[in-house]
Amino acid sequence: MNVAEVRGLCKEYPSFRLSDVSFDLAPGRIMGFIGRNGAGKTTTIKCMLNLVHPTSGGVSYFGLPLVGNEDEIKPRIGYSTGAVNYYPQKRIRDIVAVTRTFYPNWDEGAYREYLEFFEIDEDKRPRELSEGMKVKFNLLLALSHRAEMLILDEPTSGLDPFSRDELIGDFNRLKKRGVAILFSTHIISDVEKCADDIAYISKGRLAAALPEADFRSRFGAAGETLEETVIRMERSAANA
Amino acid sequence: MLKLLLAKELKLTASALSYLFIALALLAFCPGYPILLGAFFVCLGIFQSFRSAREANDIVYSALLPVPKADVVRGKYIFCVFIELVAFAVTAAATLVRMTALSDAAAYRANALMNANPAFLGITLLIFGLFNAIFVRGFFKTARDFTKPFIGFIVAAFFAVAIGEALHHIPGLEALNAFGFEHIGLQLAIFAGGAVAYVLLTLLSERSAVRRFELLDL
Repeated sequence: MNVAEVRGLCKEYPSFRLSDVSFDLAPGRIMGFIGRNGAGKTTTIKCMLNLVHPTSGGVSYFGLPLVGNEDEIKPRIGYSTGAVNYYPQKRIRDIVAVTRTFYPNWDEGAYREYLEFFEIDEDKRPRELSEGMKVKFNLLLALSHRAEMLILDEPTSGLDPFSRDELIGDFNRLKKRGVAILFSTHIISDVEKCADDIAYISKGRLAAALPEADFRSRFGAAGETLEETVIRMERSAANA
Repeated sequence: MLKLLLAKELKLTASALSYLFIALALLAFCPGYPILLGAFFVCLGIFQSFRSAREANDIVYSALLPVPKADVVRGKYIFCVFIELVAFAVTAAATLVRMTALSDAAAYRANALMNANPAFLGITLLIFGLFNAIFVRGFFKTARDFTKPFIGFIVAAFFAVAIGEALHHIPGLEALNAFGFEHIGLQLAIFAGGAVAYVLLTLLSERSAVRRFELLDL
């Protein structure tokens, strides 16, 4: 059974339209969700979390539609969005103390492990963290409740190259445990390092959602890196 | 789950002013002061929590927790009701003291403004109900903008205060401002009306706010 099934997501805004986005994510797979800024990555992810209502289409997790099953599905998924600053004046330990009460599957061992891994001081407040550390704090919360699927919006943006590399290594470790990961990014080299599948969105349309090897063989030219392929595709779309 | 959301509101979201302003319910002891303003100040304290919640991205954080989206609204309502009922308990205690031990105090006998009695408590509850119906429900239209809903509440609250202060000057309604337990029947009727209004305004606006929030894109 797929962990997530996205079917025909459409969202109309006055100046932007997300059109018919569909893809599946299987257990233990990492999907890189790529596209330039404003292509529709965050809108898709927000629809997947019921933060934004799609005009049509829907999302299922573990065979259950999200709408109407949020309390059953949300403990099984983890979400992190870049460097959003939640409760900037509160101590991290206080935020965590409240957050853990909502997750019956909260893993204190994993929490302690990632706290050390990310070198986060529980006595600090989010306003005292750098942008990169805020990303890590959001990831810490997402990783500490044994989520079967992680949805990560631009998780590596704002991180230094060493932290990005460590984080990608961590994605691979989680994958081996069967965790599925969907992460959006415009840093294509991060996708090259870990993604099994690639979903590429351009101007609100999903151009492709394929296994990484199929994506390369269908769209790539000889000797081209994935980044070069995507940039060429983006330029062709802009000129079309 | 709603218990957890209340705990989250109290520990993470609430402004210290929400707790401090509960003490302003003791304005019920002030002679020569429009004591209904105590209820307004309690609501002003709750408003500060909505402001700090917005600055802390609390609504998005709550919507991402493993709770139905509707419970995010219910959590806010439960927090408001909690603060209002604590403040109401303080107000009721002060009123009881004024009606018994202090009923003959010269300062209160010479008081031209509203006295602390069951009618006052009823209008206090009405003001809390107006806050829930106008401000809290209005906030969930956008889950960000609270200026218009709060201005709407200020206007409604001052009408309620003005009506409360004016009623007992109308011939035949002087009993609304009686001391001690004299004419308690009419005062209890106003109290019952205020209590019913509070419950209805809170419950109906909560349902409406849930519907609004369900349709909202965050």
